[in-house]
Amino acid sequence: MSTQATARRTVVRDEQSVLAPLERARGSLRNVAIARAFLLFVAVSAIAWVLVTIVTFLMSRSSEAGFTAPGPLLLLALIPALAVAAASLSRELPRLTRERVALWVEEHNPLDFALVTAADSRAGAAERLGPRLTGIPWNDLLRQAARRRLFRPAVAALLGVAAAFLVPVALTSIVTVSIAGVAGTSAMVEPVRPTSGPLAGIRATVTPPAYSGVAASTLNDPASIAALVGSRLVVGGRLSTELDVSALLGDRTLPVAMDGGSWTTRITMPNAPALVKLGAGDAERMVLLLPQPDSVPVVVLSAAVADTVLREPRGMIQLEANARDDLGLASARWEWIVTTGGGEQFQARSGTLGDVQLRGARTAELRNSLDVSSLSVIPGDVIHVRATATDRNNIGGPGVGTSETRTIRIARPDEYDSLTIEGVAPPPADSALLSQRMILLRTERLVARMARMQRQAVVDSSRSLADDQATLRRRVGRLVYQKLGEDEDAEHSHFPGDGHDHGEEQRLDPADILARADAATGSGVPEVLDFEGDETPVVAINRPLLEAYNHMWDAGRALEIADPEGAVPPMRLALEAIQRAREAERYYMRGRPPRVVVDIAAARQEGKSTGTGSLRVPLGADDPGAAARVARLERAAILAMRNPAAAADSLIVLQLEVMSHGDLAAALGEASNLIRAGESAGTAMARARRLASPGGVRRSPLSAWRGW
Amino acid sequence: MSRFVFATAQYQSGNWDSAPLVPPNIIDTLAQYTSLDLAPVGAIVPLGSPSLLNFPFVFLTGHLPVRFTDQERSMLQRFVERGGFLFVDDHNHDIDGAFHKTAVEEIERAIGPLRNLPNNHRLYNCFFEFPDGPPTTGHELNGWGDNLVHEHLLATMHGDRIAVLYSNKDYSSEWNFHPRTKRFLSVDPTRFAVNVIVHALTR
Repeated sequence: MSTQATARRTVVRDEQSVLAPLERARGSLRNVAIARAFLLFVAVSAIAWVLVTIVTFLMSRSSEAGFTAPGPLLLLALIPALAVAAASLSRELPRLTRERVALWVEEHNPLDFALVTAADSRAGAAERLGPRLTGIPWNDLLRQAARRRLFRPAVAALLGVAAAFLVPVALTSIVTVSIAGVAGTSAMVEPVRPTSGPLAGIRATVTPPAYSGVAASTLNDPASIAALVGSRLVVGGRLSTELDVSALLGDRTLPVAMDGGSWTTRITMPNAPALVKLGAGDAERMVLLLPQPDSVPVVVLSAAVADTVLREPRGMIQLEANARDDLGLASARWEWIVTTGGGEQFQARSGTLGDVQLRGARTAELRNSLDVSSLSVIPGDVIHVRATATDRNNIGGPGVGTSETRTIRIARPDEYDSLTIEGVAPPPADSALLSQRMILLRTERLVARMARMQRQAVVDSSRSLADDQATLRRRVGRLVYQKLGEDEDAEHSHFPGDGHDHGEEQRLDPADILARADAATGSGVPEVLDFEGDETPVVAINRPLLEAYNHMWDAGRALEIADPEGAVPPMRLALEAIQRAREAERYYMRGRPPRVVVDIAAARQEGKSTGTGSLRVPLGADDPGAAARVARLERAAILAMRNPAAAADSLIVLQLEVMSHGDLAAALGEASNLIRAGESAGTAMARARRLASPGGVRRSPLSAWRGW
Repeated sequence: MSRFVFATAQYQSGNWDSAPLVPPNIIDTLAQYTSLDLAPVGAIVPLGSPSLLNFPFVFLTGHLPVRFTDQERSMLQRFVERGGFLFVDDHNHDIDGAFHKTAVEEIERAIGPLRNLPNNHRLYNCFFEFPDGPPTTGHELNGWGDNLVHEHLLATMHGDRIAVLYSNKDYSSEWNFHPRTKRFLSVDPTRFAVNVIVHALTR
């Protein structure tokens, strides 16, 4: 260490010792500045709080709303206070440099600028001026400075705090006086129902259940008391006269304890709103009890995110859930149920996992892993998992909250390759797909070889392929028409101009076919399918099949005219369309029960609901006199040829006997008149004959052939 | 007045479709014994769907645990508040079974407590007379499930009306056969369903 450095260090130490009081004074002034800023903060915040209270009071008066102290608005009051404090600090602290503090000391205790010179490090005269700096009354200077700088802010802070306490009380008393004035006015016209009677000024102490952790509170002169169910309420007051107080909760009389001039009654907050009727002498008062139920915990499952199917009964499943409660949680856990079996035989076992005690925490997170293999499940079993949480409600609880349930099913070996419940037959279009691909391959081979083949051989091969294509087209057509509800062989509903016109048979153009396909599949129906479901849950299956069908027609025509090269593009289009139809066919509805349509009319034995049967006219009773009348009529007809007058009389007699048969009587009367007049009576006699025999005319059998 | 549609509740958990032939069978029974205007096919209604409110009567059954979603619970509450009648039958016929324990828990959580329904309730004589209360099922007599003959049905009351009727008697098995089979039975076991539905529609 050099002598020069040692000397420099000694000088610095001397300088520090000389200026140490100055540095202490500087620190004290800095503290004074901070204290001043704090006092300004308190003063401004208190004044702002008072202003906010007054403004709120004025607004409540103008809007006739109830006045309450604006607690949350205190935050607004802090903003200007912080600004003032920050401004004060930013103004004061930068000024407190050593030189300026020295100048301030010299201003109050002149030293001919010895202190300023000593404080100037550039002068390097601190050691030399040290003896002149003794005797400075540092403490007196600092006390004076503190008094000067802090007095006014301290007074302002005190006044502000006092105002902050006093103004709300004063405003509340103004409101109370105002309400009392209104009550006094109404008392002029209404029966006495004052708040100043013997039951005025009651106090209610509310002690919430211990589990809630909420502190007891006191209400002055309440009209209603809102508290947790099970809270203990002590309602009481003072009486100026010798009266007994009665209390009724609904129909139940509550015991009232009288102690000198005061009375109290104890109530447990019920589950439902109730009215407490208080009585003292002629005065009555009612207090409404408003129970606040304790909410059950809310549990939200976040993992596993969805139900799932496991291929094998092993593995870990991550479980996550959040729980929250308004007053505090007691415990949380995972619940699982494993169901085994099927059909009518099911067994279930259950258990819990990850039980945690939460000791009143408002929120909790549950994170656990479920080891599937530990549950000893087998294929076909279903695991149901959910999170549950309980609160600490020991009054009406505990409240139990549960999350959504996740089900994890263990797949059976026979369902590995399918998502459907029932094994389904492969769609019929699959075989068409293979066949179309084979025809396409064969056609492409023919196209590749045809340059080296004889023309006739090409024609023969092409027509052979055309036959195969036509066979396949008919198979696809059967699929289409089955879905359209037509006869399987209804392919003969051709399109105009397709070259297969069969005269007058029904024709369908492609637009008709597609419209019917839409109707069959429901794809063109604007409304949603109803709950009864559609026979074909596959949407638009017919459209690609119809496209394939049409392309097959094109390919077949090209092959018929020995143009295999022209048949390849439509074949590829047909193949693509079949593939689309096949994919559409892969959709199956899950859980679809058998659809049984009940024949309501048949169940009610009402016969068919459609069609009208011919009316059956019941046969009349046999008329034993009919045959005799017919015989008499025939005899009269024979007699008419010999003795018309006698025949006419016979007919009149017969007419009289059958007067109850109006038509027959009329016919007989007409016939008799004609015979009597000598005219032809054949028609009238024939009608009478027909009417005389209700069962119809019985004709004699034809006579045997007797030859020419 | 619209047709009565027998609705089966489709809930997300469990196997809601465990008794697929009950609806047509009950519809057939209603057609035989009553003059109700009936839809010939039952409906399947998701329990969490607003369309639940289109049906005055909903049937719910299954073997597996029942866990209603919040949506299902909320919709069920609306259904009951609007006068709906939910008939729940335990297809397990086992009071210690998963369906019973979970379904009762869910119903009590969503609607209210289940209590024994007195056997002289109007339900038992509003159409056919069942003086001894709910008819016994073959599964109870055979000692299957919990090996009990349940004396009462359970019900959650909404005011003075039944909001939820709960059965441990496994009517789902008793009634789960094709309507045509009924002609071979000396006593039609589905008659009680007429009482349940007539009561649901006329209370």
